[in-house]
Amino acid sequence: MALWLESIVPELILIGVGALLVLGDAFARRWRPAFPWITLAGVLAALGSRWLVPAEGLVWEGVLAVDSLGRFVDSYILAAAALALLMADPFLARTQSRFGEFYGLLLWAAAGAMAMAKANHLLVVFVGLELLSIALYVLNAFLRDNILSLEAGWKYLVVGGFSSGLFLFGAALLYGATGTLYLPALLTAPVTDGFLMPMALALLASALAFKLAVFPFHAWAPDVYQGSPTPVTAFLSVVPKGAALVVLARLIAAASPQVLAPRWTAVLAGLAVGSMVLGNLAALAQRDLKRMLAYSGIAHMGYALVGLVAYGAEGVTGVLVYLAAYTFMNMAAFAAVAAFSESEEEPHLVNDLAGQGWERPVVAFALSLSMFALAGIPPTIGFVGKFLVFRAAVNAHMVWLAVVGVLASLVSVFYYVRVVYYLYMKPLPKRKPAFAEPWPIKLLSAACVVAIVVLGVFPQTLVRLAQEATGLLGR
Amino acid sequence: MELVSFPLSTMIFLPGLAGLVLLLLPSRWIALHRWVSFLVSLATLALALTVLSRFDPNVGDFQLTESAPWLPSLGISYRVEVDGLSLLLVLLTALLQPVVFLSSWGSIQDKVKGYLVSMLVLETGVLGAFLATDLFLFYVFWELMLIPMYFIIGVWGGERRVYAAVKFVLFTLAGSLLMLVAILYMAFQYKAQTGTYSFAYADWLAVQLPMAEGFWGSPQMLAFAAFALAFAIKVPVWPLHTWLPDAHTEAPTGGSIILAGILLKLGTYGLLRFNRALFPEAWERSRSFFMILAVVAIIYGALVSWAQKDMKRLVAFSSVSHMGFIILGMFAGGVVATQGALLQMVNHGLSTGALFLLVGVLYDRRHTRMIEDYGGLAAVMPLYTGTFLLATLASVGLPGLNGFVGEFLILLGTYQSQPVAAAIGATGVILGAVYMLSLVQRVFWNPLSHEENLNLPDISWRELTSFAPLAVLMVWIGVYPTTFLSLSEKAVQKLLGG
Repeated sequence: MALWLESIVPELILIGVGALLVLGDAFARRWRPAFPWITLAGVLAALGSRWLVPAEGLVWEGVLAVDSLGRFVDSYILAAAALALLMADPFLARTQSRFGEFYGLLLWAAAGAMAMAKANHLLVVFVGLELLSIALYVLNAFLRDNILSLEAGWKYLVVGGFSSGLFLFGAALLYGATGTLYLPALLTAPVTDGFLMPMALALLASALAFKLAVFPFHAWAPDVYQGSPTPVTAFLSVVPKGAALVVLARLIAAASPQVLAPRWTAVLAGLAVGSMVLGNLAALAQRDLKRMLAYSGIAHMGYALVGLVAYGAEGVTGVLVYLAAYTFMNMAAFAAVAAFSESEEEPHLVNDLAGQGWERPVVAFALSLSMFALAGIPPTIGFVGKFLVFRAAVNAHMVWLAVVGVLASLVSVFYYVRVVYYLYMKPLPKRKPAFAEPWPIKLLSAACVVAIVVLGVFPQTLVRLAQEATGLLGR
Repeated sequence: MELVSFPLSTMIFLPGLAGLVLLLLPSRWIALHRWVSFLVSLATLALALTVLSRFDPNVGDFQLTESAPWLPSLGISYRVEVDGLSLLLVLLTALLQPVVFLSSWGSIQDKVKGYLVSMLVLETGVLGAFLATDLFLFYVFWELMLIPMYFIIGVWGGERRVYAAVKFVLFTLAGSLLMLVAILYMAFQYKAQTGTYSFAYADWLAVQLPMAEGFWGSPQMLAFAAFALAFAIKVPVWPLHTWLPDAHTEAPTGGSIILAGILLKLGTYGLLRFNRALFPEAWERSRSFFMILAVVAIIYGALVSWAQKDMKRLVAFSSVSHMGFIILGMFAGGVVATQGALLQMVNHGLSTGALFLLVGVLYDRRHTRMIEDYGGLAAVMPLYTGTFLLATLASVGLPGLNGFVGEFLILLGTYQSQPVAAAIGATGVILGAVYMLSLVQRVFWNPLSHEENLNLPDISWRELTSFAPLAVLMVWIGVYPTTFLSLSEKAVQKLLGG
């Protein structure tokens, strides 16, 4: 029997390189400045191997789905990890903390998210979820001397532990109802108890909703975003969310339609509307950029959920494209946050951006472009994402949901545009803060700008990949 | 072999790409930036004239089609083409842009590169929006105009620029986001009725949206309303006009010219192109509603203009009144009124553009827009007074100048179907003369009471050059409008008949 080791080469690379770096920190400290680049090489090698090894479908007795959906999400996670690394290096260099653990944990978190996104069995989902979450608990609290960072770590730990519990409980109930945890088997499994199955799905969805930070499971997000080191926040804001959304999509595809409709759709629509409305309204009131991005993230997961509510191939295609869009937009925004803050202890106020647009052209341009993209203004990738999810909603006879979505994004325009206003239309303060614009950040900004615009103008390849990926879900 | 194989696409993307190139060059090469953008706008004008030369006015259909697949799996394609409706407005855009760049020599001294790049990107958005015949593409270009205009008002504007810029963005987006949902709904209906995806305008003409008896609630009425809201905010139709005085007053001279001259026309163009053709029954049903709003706008805009103390604000409110005429003509129906409305779009672009340009000339010298700070300028700046008078008379509709032809055709056409509306509208012409001439009197004829004004230099050659093409066209349209009317006649007939 084949071991199918080649199908998990990317994960093996990540875990191996991560272990190497953690050990290297103990035995080869002189090599510390090279750690980020070794990590980056590992991520790129994993990305390359994912595309070189043919996608072969179900492996490991069917519990892992190494298919085109898995490949899409893996690429997304690895791209986010690579961008977060570029962002992390100047920050770690400045704080003299290029510790191997940071890189090791980041890689392991990515490997966990990748396992989650490809899992076809709820226990594998759980293993991936835990690997991702535990690595992130440590990363959140990485600034040991910073009280906010410790708070972020604790909060994420408590909430994460709670949601893991919910997840396990849900999985147990599901097993009780159907006798299997294998997702493809759920569809055909006879549902004996009309109560257990919806309960199980509700618990599983709640656990995932915590990871997604959608309303009403969002309360941890602003504090954790604010306290965590900015590169970790950036990673946290895209990777677990993407993985959780894909698990949710696979779960919906696997659950029998009688259980889902119409209650499930109504509940998901409620989550989506609540997130869009609350996220955007609360973001209006924020003065701290990271908190603002946290609330905007809540709203964005609401938009992504619109795609899941609509479901069907169109809806999930929309969700996948939205995720890809969200990665580049958020990374560009957080890169600017990292560049525009003097130290991690200080709050990251919008006011500090005053007049910086003309002083720091590259990062400021990337930040404003990402703001317009987050607001969904063409010709950016953000518009393509919104277009696809709202289109799915309209085609699923839910015009009202699309209307709520566009009205919510109208609200969001106000606070996104405010950032641009501070950057370009406010005068530079007399004592201007000495913000650095290190080259990795510039490179990251430029890469995101190119991705946001090029994918926004020529979305065909991305859309086609997403369509191929969702074809597998069957509905 | 023709010199340019894709004139429309080249014309659309030339300014934007030039803008991107300028963006990468150092900001301190100010003269280079100024000259390159001016020459690019001239090249765009040359391309527009190329389009004109290849255009066949005897055909009402779209011409010079250029298309390519874009997102084929969703039925979205890149498709630009021109007909008589869009041709005039494209020519107007291409003509006003060099004027704007010429005026920026005097009015923009700070952060020049950013201003020019914004203007170039804006031109791409405007031309694309006029020429796109795929609704997805249209929406992309439509929104592409938003960001540069936000910067133009917000960075280079007057004192309350940020308020004006944010208001402009929020108003515009409020309309266009709902239009996006309506676009998605139309695509959904097309798929439901034909089985394939398409966002092409020509395909959508065949879509039959259900229309119920009541005013509201039926799909066609709602889709019509969503489109109409987006365009009505842009026009702006009273009572959605409140962003306009702020945006126009606070924008720098070039921004005001583009806003008044071109961006407002996108609203009326959109109503005619999309609302009228795609939702014919809803259009019929809402005609009297829009005509009432138009008449109110004509009178209201004129009265408010009369009360203004700020020259720019006065011209801005006059736009509300003038755009009311255009709406009146469009909704009155009939070839005459529609042709008049179309011509009046060009006229308003020329005369209001010229007025903003000339007010800008004065502002560059004195840095005040208040009417009370002037008086008796005719003695100090005789040449300038002449140009201003010409623009004023064109704006108020003196026979022999362009404004008269447009207003006359609109009122003639309206009178045939709605004599009352035409009668009230005609009062607006008189009021227009009142407030514009009183402006001229207070600025140019009253005694020269302010010492600062004694030594104002007269209009310079550069400023005169930027005004000259507008003046020529004002007279040309006034004396021989057939040149322009014949370009659009077939297209208008097809729109109304089909």
